[in-house]
Parts: sequence; structure tokens; C-alpha cells
Amino acid sequence: MHSFIRPNTHVALRLPSGLLKIVEVIPNTYVTWSYYYKPPNRPRLHGAYTHSNVNLGKYGTFSTNQILGRPYHLTFELLDSEKENSKSAAQLRVVPASELHAEALGSDQVLPPATGGDSTPIEADGDAAANGSVGFDIVNEDGDVIMRNNRLTVDDPSRQTLTMEEIEELKKAGVGSGKDIIARIMASHLAIDEKTSFSLAKYTLRKSRKYLKRFTVLPLDLGTLTEYVTEKEAYKIMELREETLGLICSWANVHSASGARVQTAEDGVSQLGGGRWLVVDDTGGLVTAALAEKMGILYPTVEEEEEEEEGDEEKEQDAKKVHENGSESVAIVVSKQNSVDHVATAGAGDNEASSSHTPHKPPKFTNGNHEGPRPPRKPRQHVAQMSAQTNTLTVLHSNNQPNISHLKYFGFDTGAPVASHPLYTHLKSVSWLQLLHPMEDPSYVEPERVTDDVLATMKSSKRGNYYKKRRRWEKTKRVVDEARAGGFDGLVVASSMEAKSILKELVPLVRGGGRVVVYSPNAEPLVELCDYYSKDRRAAYVAREFGAEQDGKVKTDPDDNGPDETEDEDEDFPVNPTLLLAPSLQTARARHWQVLPQRTHPFMTSKGGAEGYLFTGTRVLPIEGRVEARGHGRSKKRKIAES
Amino acid sequence: MEMPQSPAHAASSSPFLDPGTHSVAGSLGVLQLKRDHLIPAILSASSADSDYAEGKVVNTRFGSYPHSTLINKPWGTQILASVVDTGSRSKKRKREKADNGDDNVDADRTGLVKAATASSGFAHLVPPTPETWTLCLPHRTQVVYTPDYSYILQRLRVRPGDHIIEAGAGSGSFTHAAVRAVYNGYPTDNSPQEGTESATKKHKGSTGQGRVYSFEYHAPRAETLKAELASHGLDTLVTVTNRDVYNDGFCLDDHAEPNADVIFLDLPAPWQALKHLTRSPPSAAVLNSVASDPSTPTQTPQLSSTSPQQQPSTPFRSPLNPNRTVRICTFSPCIEQVTKTVSALRSLGWLEIGMAEIQAKRVEVRRERVGLQEEGLRGANAAAASVQEAVQRLRDVEGRAKVFHGLQKEKQQQVMRRAEAAKRGDKATLSKVADDVADEDLEADDGGAMKKARVEGLPPSKHDRLERAKRDLESRELFKEGRLVHRTEAEIKTHTSYLVFAVLPREWSRDDEVEARARWS
Repeated sequence: MHSFIRPNTHVALRLPSGLLKIVEVIPNTYVTWSYYYKPPNRPRLHGAYTHSNVNLGKYGTFSTNQILGRPYHLTFELLDSEKENSKSAAQLRVVPASELHAEALGSDQVLPPATGGDSTPIEADGDAAANGSVGFDIVNEDGDVIMRNNRLTVDDPSRQTLTMEEIEELKKAGVGSGKDIIARIMASHLAIDEKTSFSLAKYTLRKSRKYLKRFTVLPLDLGTLTEYVTEKEAYKIMELREETLGLICSWANVHSASGARVQTAEDGVSQLGGGRWLVVDDTGGLVTAALAEKMGILYPTVEEEEEEEEGDEEKEQDAKKVHENGSESVAIVVSKQNSVDHVATAGAGDNEASSSHTPHKPPKFTNGNHEGPRPPRKPRQHVAQMSAQTNTLTVLHSNNQPNISHLKYFGFDTGAPVASHPLYTHLKSVSWLQLLHPMEDPSYVEPERVTDDVLATMKSSKRGNYYKKRRRWEKTKRVVDEARAGGFDGLVVASSMEAKSILKELVPLVRGGGRVVVYSPNAEPLVELCDYYSKDRRAAYVAREFGAEQDGKVKTDPDDNGPDETEDEDEDFPVNPTLLLAPSLQTARARHWQVLPQRTHPFMTSKGGAEGYLFTGTRVLPIEGRVEARGHGRSKKRKIAES
Repeated sequence: MEMPQSPAHAASSSPFLDPGTHSVAGSLGVLQLKRDHLIPAILSASSADSDYAEGKVVNTRFGSYPHSTLINKPWGTQILASVVDTGSRSKKRKREKADNGDDNVDADRTGLVKAATASSGFAHLVPPTPETWTLCLPHRTQVVYTPDYSYILQRLRVRPGDHIIEAGAGSGSFTHAAVRAVYNGYPTDNSPQEGTESATKKHKGSTGQGRVYSFEYHAPRAETLKAELASHGLDTLVTVTNRDVYNDGFCLDDHAEPNADVIFLDLPAPWQALKHLTRSPPSAAVLNSVASDPSTPTQTPQLSSTSPQQQPSTPFRSPLNPNRTVRICTFSPCIEQVTKTVSALRSLGWLEIGMAEIQAKRVEVRRERVGLQEEGLRGANAAAASVQEAVQRLRDVEGRAKVFHGLQKEKQQQVMRRAEAAKRGDKATLSKVADDVADEDLEADDGGAMKKARVEGLPPSKHDRLERAKRDLESRELFKEGRLVHRTEAEIKTHTSYLVFAVLPREWSRDDEVEARARWS
């Protein structure tokens, strides 16, 4: 995974401005280089600022072949080409770390004399010549002797003698790294020698960001994608930040469950645990991707195989192992007989459950798609989508199809999923209609069965259609039945829908001890949710459900026929408050710092917007009836339900 | 820890990774009493090392919970407290008592007294997770809390199958979170008890199997952590090494280990460990520049003397995965540590260096009740809720005062009238006195009624108001009254540590470049 840049994958290019650009690296194509304008007084932050990009035109091109096969995180620079032809692709040079740092520091003279010797050994150490950074040279020339202060600083733009037009001309003329432009700009500054060394470093850095033709190739992983989307359209991911994603994943206790057992609940049918998480995702799939990454099912296994090619023999062995892990569930589905055995030994799994719900279905049929009596079907192994039993994510969606489009960056297109991608079997989707009223969903209703004899007389296309329909129904039925049976290890919600309505339906589907996590960009919806699970409300709920006979002060329902759902009840108790333990609300924010010698401080500006809150709780199994708490309050009097 | 480890996790996996449907004897369970009050317990079915007749017991402020009531329960179950004689702890005495057939205690086959349910007290049995463990682990050092470790693991892109180096294992909270993040199956060997060496040899340096390499300088802490991990069924996934990483680095005996993808350093001086985390032997000049930090003058001679010794004695071996970008995070509370770490990282060629701190807070949600109806009630503000209410209250007070004064005046007048009559005292009038008295009695009756009527129309007295508030309370639904508010909780961690992040790309030589150029052209 992510050891080198592979063809036909998405990568992110970090531009000198700090912005990210996502590119699909298709071999033998060209990436065009543009300047981006960034307001000068905005420092570069770790993925947190907005501004308008003004595309100032195309200034260079490089071939994707020049970055393919190279490791990630290298910084490339467009080389000054001899020819003044801007159409031709520039050559790239790997910028060594020493040079990159020299620039970040601005000048080593900034360092106190004791550590001033730092730079020499680094440069000697770097394998390519670190010299030639124009900005750095200028700093070296001018900044080394005196420690100036800003007494003489004149705030006057006219001190830069180059006009805008002249700079534009320069940019049009040059096709290379941009260093010549920076050199000219610096040289044309009337008072460059009046600047303090810090200010000069800042000036150089600013110009470098604007004119240098450098970029760093980053793997398009979750962090990079989050940063990218945050910059462009944060609202699409509900303004999730990396720290919030981390919190969600931790509190949801999401992790890989490869090799998990298939366990059954008390009823002997429905599955319990097994590394299955329920997700409600209105972030275009970002939350789903984050969870999938933690479960080890986000990145295509193809990558692993490729890695195995170039790796040593140990690696090969392991990659195979990974592959085995990934295809474990595949094996289950491919040969149904085995699967039934497997399920039977491990307890009844969902596959079996679904088939037992439809007793009239001959067992032969389940594998009819590849082992049926029809010879014309190719022997290709059919892997049923959404068929994994453990280590799965079930996405609940309010439209016909889930919106998880961000998964495309990880090689998973929901429209045309590739069977080799782990998400193909491990990602399941269920609509709210299917979950709550499955019979109203046409795809849940079993299509008419046709006997083998009739089938034999069918045209092959018609027969194919028939099988396709059956398979789709099987898939839907299997997934929906599994979801309805519950027993999930956790529930993660990042949705603009009303949280109480979601939790009312989904918390009961979480197993005891499972985690419930709800994200909201704003506090209010979750504050309300906390209130629905509050201690007082729980006490009132318990008192109303069970406590009527104990003390008269509890109001008895006029229609006292059990816990039926009157409207009034729904209003006061939209969720069952006894099902969640320790409901809490939290938020976290990372504050990013600039760390430069003698200039360490938090960044001066960063992005505001949604704070991002997280509601967490643990699903518990309350004892029926009234339970007395102990050890609370100053009075000896015992109160109800407290934990 | 004395738990019977081998059968516990030979049979099933770690309760952290797959707790199963029910709690099992010999496995870790967590008893949650309040949100931040959790008690971890290795559930034990035997009565060994227990002073109680019921076997092992978890005693809390909220009741006693014998392990026998916690075993084989579905996770998440609400557990009722039991009646346990916590006063006399003599096992023998309890045993005898049981044998004598004391009222409702009956011994089961293990010789344990069956616990009797207490009238009050409950807790919830929840499966252990890194989060619950972080809340209840025995503190040996400062703990890396959930907001920090979750961000660290997220930003380090830790994934199942990764190898992670953790130096400064400390109390093990990060260790547990890291295992969860890298876990993608147990080493597929036949005997997990045999110890990690044989288990890992089979899998040496596998990039396929996630693993945590934990280093701890403090020997007793390393031992405790080892035992803890074993009792949590995680020992086959974590290699704990007691070592001074500043001087001895991170390489293990097995040449394919640790082969790290990710590094987390929770050390007082991370910059001193960084020289061991390189892809190729760092040049003397770089070592010098890293070591010759002005702030550690005492360390300098020692370091410069050890490093030349090391290099000739053993051939250089990198603890890093040569095929991938390696990511690092250092965790330091002080800014000075950060500056040194960052400058060392720069000298050693790390890139994308960034520093952040996590500011996390928990939010308290409650209902704020304000109003005169709250008078005398707890947990509410009994001030007037609005101007109208304040005005009404003032009117009431004034009204009462008026009536009260009026009554006073009347009474006074009456008294004076009587006194006057007595003074006059002549016989003519004396005969009348009896009438008067009768009249007065009548009058008094009349007045009483009138007074009552007047008082009834009066706003209630404070006493009445308190009484009424109390009475009303019984029919009020406090859980939905008042205004819903939220605020930061009383105690917050304003600073935990600074997190320095960096990446080290794969080494890329000219030859590699030539090869890549040939392949992609």
C-alpha cells in the first residue's frame, strides 16, 4: 500500500502554495502546471484555509511517466529547460530534503551561532547538490552578518521596482523552476538589505510559494482527501476535520475484524458482533472511508498484489496472506456448500438465515448462477456483492442509492464496483425503507421462480436476466435481513437528519456493549440528543414503565395497556433512554503551530466554521423493571436509575 | 497477573478485539459504574485468592459485585449488586457458615456461595476497549488520552497490517489503541503461548501482519505491561522490549523486525532517539549536529563516544520499512523539546514536519430551571424568571403587607376601645358590658371570618409557597422543564502535549531513478 506511485491511481500534488491538487496518474499523459495566486498574508496551514484561486494560466507541463514508480512524498521541481518552448514537457528533478528545509528555515544565519553549523553537514550529506536554490542564495548573501531590526522598514509597495506587467512577462518567458523569476524580483527590491533576516526569510518564502514550480506527490489517503475537500467544499463532508475523524473511529471502536468468528445471538439465528458496523453517512462517503480504512478494507487488494511483485519473498508470502484474508468471505460465497458447512459449524450465519426464511427455495438454487444445469454460463466465479459475513460496514441511506462518491478515490465506484475491491463484499447498503418496511421495497420481494425445465427453454439473454434478478433479490434480502436482525458492533452517524429519529431505530440494532457515535457540526442537535438520554429523563422513563405500582406519584397512563406508542410518549421519550450508557458530548480541535528556529508559535490564522461535536454512548441491556441505585445524594433516600 | 492466561486466549481472541457474545471467565471485563468510573477485572470463576465466600468480588461505592455474577453474561448487561459480607473477610468463617446451611446461601459445585441480590445498586458490564481501558487503567506514568491518541493514529495513517514502534510504553494506553489500529489477525501459529519469538519468526518482518513494537526503559514497567498484555490476550501482537532506545536503538534480534511503518515516541528527549531511526547510517556531521544541541551539554560527550563505537561493532541495520514512507509522531509537553526534536528531524531529512496540539473538551448538557416556582427546590435557580414575574412577586408582597397592616390596625383599635370602656367603668355602662362582650364575641366571630376571607384573597405566605412548590414537584416533569444548555465541563485538560509529525520517504537513489525512468517511458 502506498509504497510507490502506481499507474491509474489518484494522487494528490501539494503545490508550493500549500494547496492540493488531485490527479489521476494515467501513464503517458501530461499534467499541466499552473500558477496559483494566494493572498499574501495568509500563512500556509495544515489543510485549513480558504481563498479563491485565480488561475494565471498554464506555465509548464510534465509527463506522468516522470513520477510513476517513484516513491511518495518526494518533492519534484520542474527543471529549466534549454528550449524556450513552453509546450514541451519539462524535466523533473527530485528536490532533496536538505534543500527543502533550507528554504523553510529561510536562512541558517537565523539560527543562533551555536547551531549555525547545521546546514553544512546536511548539504554535504544530501546526494544531489543542494546549491542552486536562488532564494536561499540571496539570503545567504545578505542576511549573514547583521541582525537587523525593523526600525527602517518602509511600508511602501513602490519599493518593488518590477511592475506587475514585467512580472507577467517574466512568467510567460520562463518555463523552468521559477527560480529566475524569484531572483529577479528579489534583485529588484530596492531595500532588500534593509529587511531583518526573519522578514527576508518570510519574503523569500512567500515569493517561493508564488513562483516556484515545485510539487510534492502525496498518496491520496484519508487525511489528504479530508484536507482536499475541506479546502474546497467543507460543507460536503459536514466540515469534518482529521481530529474529529480520529475521535469518531476511536469511540466507535472500529477496527479490523479479519478472522472474526461468526457468532449468533440468543435467538440462534441473528448474527452478533463479528466486526460489523452500521453507518449513516451524509458526508459523501468520507466517514465510511475512514471506518473502512481502520477495518483494512478501503484500499484495493490489487495494490497489494502489485507490491508483492516488486517486494522480496517474505513480502510475497504476506501479501498472499492478506489476499487470503480478503478473499475469505469470497470463498464462502463462491461455493455455497462449503459456506453452509462453515456457517453451521460457526453457528447460523446470515446467509443461512436468509435461506431458511424462504423454505421453498431449493438449496441448489443459491449457487445456480455458476453451478446450475446450464452449460452456457462461463465458468467465471461469481462473487456475490455484499456477501462478507464479518468485518463489514452497512451503510444506511435515504435515497435509492447511497451517496458514497468519495470512495471513488480509493478505486471503488458504487456505480460499477470492481469485484476485486474489498469493499465489494464488505460494504453493504440498506435504504431506510428496506430497513423499516422491507415489504414495500420492490427489490426485497422475491421475483417469480421458474422451474429448471422452463429455464432450459429460455433464450440465454432472458435466462441471464432471470438470474440477474434472482441474484439482486438474494443480495437485497440477505443484506436487509441481516441489518434488521441487528447485533452490530457499533453505530456511526454523521447525518443531517434528526439524530433522535435515527437513534430510535438504530440503537436497538446495536449489540450490548457496542458503541454509538453521532457526529454533528453543531452542538445543538447533539445537546438535544443528550437531553433525550439524560439521567432525569431516564428516571422518568423507568418510573413510567415500571414504577407505577411502587409509588403513587407516578402518573398512570389513561390507556394503560402496555408500552404502546401514544403521541405524547413519542414526544417525551423519542428514544428509549435506558439503552445507552454514559451518553457524553465532546469536541476536539487541533491547533497547528509554526516551528521555526526562534519563531515557534501557533499559526496566526486558521479556519473557523463548525466546531464539530461528537455524541458517544454504549449500548446496554437494561434489566426489566425498576432498579434502585445506590450511593448517591446527601440524603439516605434512594433515587431511581442512576449510573 | 495470576490469571489462567493460556486457556483464555488459546480458545478465543482478545476481548479488546473480539469480545464474543458473553463475558468469559479468565478474560477482562469492565464494570462501568459512572461515566468515568470504571473498574477493570479479570473475571475469575475460582475462589482462589479470595477472602469472600462468593469468590472474587468487586467492591464499589455502588455495591458489591461477585465475579460469579459477571461471568457468562451478555456484554452490556446491567448487573445488580449482591449482598456480600464485606465486614468479616475470613474465608473460613464464611465457608463454615455456608456449610451450616445459613438461610438463603447455597454453595454451588465450585464451592462458592451463590451471591444473593442486594436491594439496590447496579452497574453495567461492558467489554474492554482502548477507550474504556484508558479511563480505568492503573496509572504508572502520564497517560495518552483518547483525543490525543485518536488524532495521532489518524494523522499517522495507521492501518491494519502496519508495524508500529512505540517508545516509552508508559501505562500502555497508547499500546492498546495502537494494537487495535494495526491488528489484522493473529500470527497464524499453533502455539501462542510459546512466546513471541517463535511466533514472530514465522512471520518475520511481515508487512501483512500488524504488530506493535513497544519499548520501555523502566524494567518493572515493561514487565507489568507484558503481564497486562498477556492477560488481555494481546501478547501475540505486541513485542515489549525493555531497552534504552537513546543508546541502543530499535533493532531487534530478528533481522526482519521491527520493519516499522509508523513510529510514536513518548520520550523525554525524542531527538536523542531519532538518530536510530534512519534509512542509512547518518553521517558523523549530522550526528554531531543532532547531538550537539546546546541544551543537552551533559549528554553530548556520552553520545559522541557511543555512536562511533556502535558503528564499527555492528553493521548498520535500519528499523524502518525500506519500501514505504515512514511516519513519525513525537509527544512532548514542552515547547523546548519540540524545537529540538524538529531541528533534529530536519537534519535527518524528515519531511512534512508539522506540529499541533489537541484541545479537547467535554461538554456538559443540562436543563437550567429559573423561576419563582423553584423556590426551595434543589438544582434550580429560584429567582424571578422574567420582569413580569418579579413585578407580580413585588405586588404580592406589597398586598400582603397592606392587609397585614390593616389587620394590625383594627386589632389595636379594638384593644383601645375595650380599654376605654373599662376606664369609664360606671354602672350604667356595666350592664351594657355583658352585651358588649356578647357583641364582641359576635364581632370577633364575624371578624375572624372576615379575616379569613381577606387572608384567602391574599397572596400566599412564604411558608405556603414552599409547601406548594414541594407539592407541585410531584406532578412536575422536571426532565423537560427549563432551558436546555451546554457548557464545557468543570475540569478540562488545557494542555496535554505537543505533537510533532513528520514523514520520511523511501530512499531514492540515482540508480532507482534510472530504473524508473527506463520502466516508465
